[in-house]
Amino acid sequence: MNHCKEHYDIIVIGAGATGAGTARDCAMRGLSVLLVERFDFTAGATGRNHGLLHSGARYAVTDQESASECIKENMILRRIARHCVEETGGLFVTLPEDDLGYQKKFVESCLQAGINAEVIDPAIAIAMEPAVNKDIIGAVKVPDGAIDPFRLTTANVMDARNHGADILTYHEVTDMLMESGRVCGVELREQRTGQKFRVRSSLVINAGGIWGQRICAMAGIKVNMFPAKGALLIFGHRVNNVVINRCRKPADADILVPGDTISLIGTTSSRIPIDQVDRMDVTGEEVDVLLREGIKIAPCLAYTRILRAYAGVRPLIASDDDPSGRSISRGIVCMDHAVRDGIEGMITISGGKLMTYRLMAEWAADMACRKLGLEGRPCRTAEIPLPGSETPEPETGVRKRKSHIIELSTDQKAAQGRHGTMSAEISYNADEDDALVCECEQVSVGEIKYAIKKLHADSLINLRRRTRMGMGTCQGGLCACRAAAILRDETGNPPAALEDLASFVNERWKGMMPVAWGQTLVEAQFMTWLYRGVCGLQPHEEACECETNENADR
Amino acid sequence: MKYDTIIIGGGLSGLMAGVKLARSGSKVAIISSGQSALHFYSGSFGLLGHAGGKELLHPLEAIGSLPAGHPYSKIGAESIPALADDAKRIFADAGLTFIGDASKNHFRLTPLGLCEPSWLTMDDYATCENPSETGWRKATIINFKGFLDFLPGFLADGLKKHDLPCNYAEITLPAIERLRRNSSEMRAAAIAKVLKGPVLEMLAAEINRAAGDSDVVFMPAVVGIDSEQPVRELRSMVIPKLLCVPVLPMSVCGMRSQIRLRRYFEQLGGTYFLGDNVTRGYMEGPVLKEIETANLSGMSLQADNFILATGSFFSQGLAAEPDRIYEPVLGADVEAPADRSLWCGKSIFDNQPYMQFGVVTDRDFHVMFNGVPAGNVYAVGAILGGSNPIREGSGGGVAILSALQVARNIIAAGRADMSEAQA
Repeated sequence: MNHCKEHYDIIVIGAGATGAGTARDCAMRGLSVLLVERFDFTAGATGRNHGLLHSGARYAVTDQESASECIKENMILRRIARHCVEETGGLFVTLPEDDLGYQKKFVESCLQAGINAEVIDPAIAIAMEPAVNKDIIGAVKVPDGAIDPFRLTTANVMDARNHGADILTYHEVTDMLMESGRVCGVELREQRTGQKFRVRSSLVINAGGIWGQRICAMAGIKVNMFPAKGALLIFGHRVNNVVINRCRKPADADILVPGDTISLIGTTSSRIPIDQVDRMDVTGEEVDVLLREGIKIAPCLAYTRILRAYAGVRPLIASDDDPSGRSISRGIVCMDHAVRDGIEGMITISGGKLMTYRLMAEWAADMACRKLGLEGRPCRTAEIPLPGSETPEPETGVRKRKSHIIELSTDQKAAQGRHGTMSAEISYNADEDDALVCECEQVSVGEIKYAIKKLHADSLINLRRRTRMGMGTCQGGLCACRAAAILRDETGNPPAALEDLASFVNERWKGMMPVAWGQTLVEAQFMTWLYRGVCGLQPHEEACECETNENADR
Repeated sequence: MKYDTIIIGGGLSGLMAGVKLARSGSKVAIISSGQSALHFYSGSFGLLGHAGGKELLHPLEAIGSLPAGHPYSKIGAESIPALADDAKRIFADAGLTFIGDASKNHFRLTPLGLCEPSWLTMDDYATCENPSETGWRKATIINFKGFLDFLPGFLADGLKKHDLPCNYAEITLPAIERLRRNSSEMRAAAIAKVLKGPVLEMLAAEINRAAGDSDVVFMPAVVGIDSEQPVRELRSMVIPKLLCVPVLPMSVCGMRSQIRLRRYFEQLGGTYFLGDNVTRGYMEGPVLKEIETANLSGMSLQADNFILATGSFFSQGLAAEPDRIYEPVLGADVEAPADRSLWCGKSIFDNQPYMQFGVVTDRDFHVMFNGVPAGNVYAVGAILGGSNPIREGSGGGVAILSALQVARNIIAAGRADMSEAQA
């Protein structure tokens, strides 16, 4: 994993969806690419949102441009990222306390942006989605869906790698290499060893999200980002099958999204100082708001177990260097710093949203090709499916040893849902491959080994993001030990394995802490009993700086 | 129906109190909702393993300096050695053999190969007096193919730290292979159910073959779900010393303890209501008169004394809502702040305040209702506040000793009543 060349055409900083998409796009256009990330894929804003495949309807009234970008990308992602998308459909519902007059303007704006919004009878909406509040007075059907940001990003990284890109995770950019006023590479610090080294490139693309401001500063470039924190709650099972939105001006906690085995309510929105972006504690007030508003959309949330809480930062950016923030945009900002700041060799791609990651990547890669003088290399990412989403329908791995099983087992079906056609690479040959590691999410030994070997995972937190192991109702209570044992055997690094286990268990706890009552507190006490009590586990060193362990993740 | 004492909760503390009272000739009933924390048991009970951030070798010496609200302080340091001896006798009579002594901790081997100070450990489990001088020369660790809940790699890492070379061998048996057909069946309790009779002989042969010249063999603790007999049989057939290491729950020896203690309680004439829940208690002033349960609808149960042994949050003895922590069975007073930001600490490995929450009792463990102690209601075990069972390594000790202390007091009070009546 640690291998890299001395020089690349492009170094992409940040392995969120945008960085991963940019690396893939550039690599597909034949450029040599290095993707660097200070932690793991999706460790920033990408892994800390709703996982909503926006139809764009939410932005239709306030921001036509974003809305029309969203619906176009929505349709593209359904094709190229089939295995990351659930075509659930969406509803915009009007509660008795909301203004039904907004609905008309909303539908008109949607249609104008090219979003197929259809007013339906509230009774039909309730039949479509029984979890919705029965008192709704209006309903509009829109083409929302759910998208898994972890799979989406991983698939982009894997395809970048398939096209020759090198990937370095847990490598932080500590400095920009500057020569006669131009950027010509980066200095990297390997987080786990502290070792520093330099890599040169013709161009650096900064896809660092909110952390991009710091990256710019290293090159002496000033950009103004405006971090907006958004908190969300995860519920212990999938209460709704259709995305439910409040049909009103966007406000706190007005979207309930189903995803895999769970449902998510969010978000809050609060401005935070830029120096607080690495501290994402969810407050009691945020939890209270999310619950109070969430229950209005779906009353069953009042008695559904809350699995955990987490928060992310939207990287809102001023599109010029206006320090007041008045020109703030939720749209995509792609900056050529040669034009903007007179510093050659660097592009910043920011703003936007998960939904438009591919378009952002396209803009950045277009600009990169122009700057490198490489004409005639068109973007193909809107047509060529991601690994896992190729057609025809996936050929599935068949258990050799268990020839009497004709149907796929639950864990095989789950793996197919998670990895699409890539699930055919999961081995069920070895004797123990079909043993279950994570019962909540049906993750087998074979899938864990596949993630370690093929999906660039070497810690339990990585494995969770690749497979959903530990994301279910027991929050890693039992599977963490089992997976740790496999990881230990596969990587052969015993002392780190125990630290890794402690770090994983603690990250799960951090997400449970803001909602630690009812069954969540019961689960937490069980985890503590098992790991600290029965197993005698405790971290020996200061919390490893090399993981985003400070914050709870999904 | 009328009993001398009714115990609410059939886990470790409820059973210990029940057995102790039944041994004295009392008419006792236990109402148990089913599983208890014993099902997640490590194979060892701690008395006091850690205090003031230090690992303890001599727990009795440290007990005197615990805070006044700690259950051990309420029992009184001077009473503890006698209660501890009593506990060992009761376990032995129930068919559970433990090693260990309250005066000095030994070390148990955890599933991750770490050593933790303990008071009592089941004698088929791996323990040592001193982790740096185990006395073992060469070990073989065995596991069943496809069994993920035993962690041989971590165990070997831990043993290597103490200079014990380890071999590793995977074995399988036809009976185990049958379990493996369903991927969620390879769990400790399911394995324990097939390891008996002739299967044990086959297992012993496999272990002997794998052990080579090792003087000690470590295996997952998956033998003997309802008695020690299968472990004894197996150990008699294995040439090297055979020691069990705990696995992830469910705990086979925990089930064994639960079953043995319950059977012993019933042999002594106790009544065990399994799968029932107390729905209501009727207080008259500071006295609990009777209770109702879900299964015995319309019929109430009366007793002179009641013992609340319902455990902590995990066992539903305490419950938390966003703005309060309460005791759900009788509505007893609970010592815990209403502000939930004070319940938890940021690291799961740090002190977690909620672990110390519990019902309020006086020094004799009488439960308080609205600030007044109930004369005939006691609390024992994990529902008691004032100790942090996980950080202190005191969960087993608090459960066992508080139960025996309360039982002893009830018996003593009964005798006093009787002699008064005779006089």
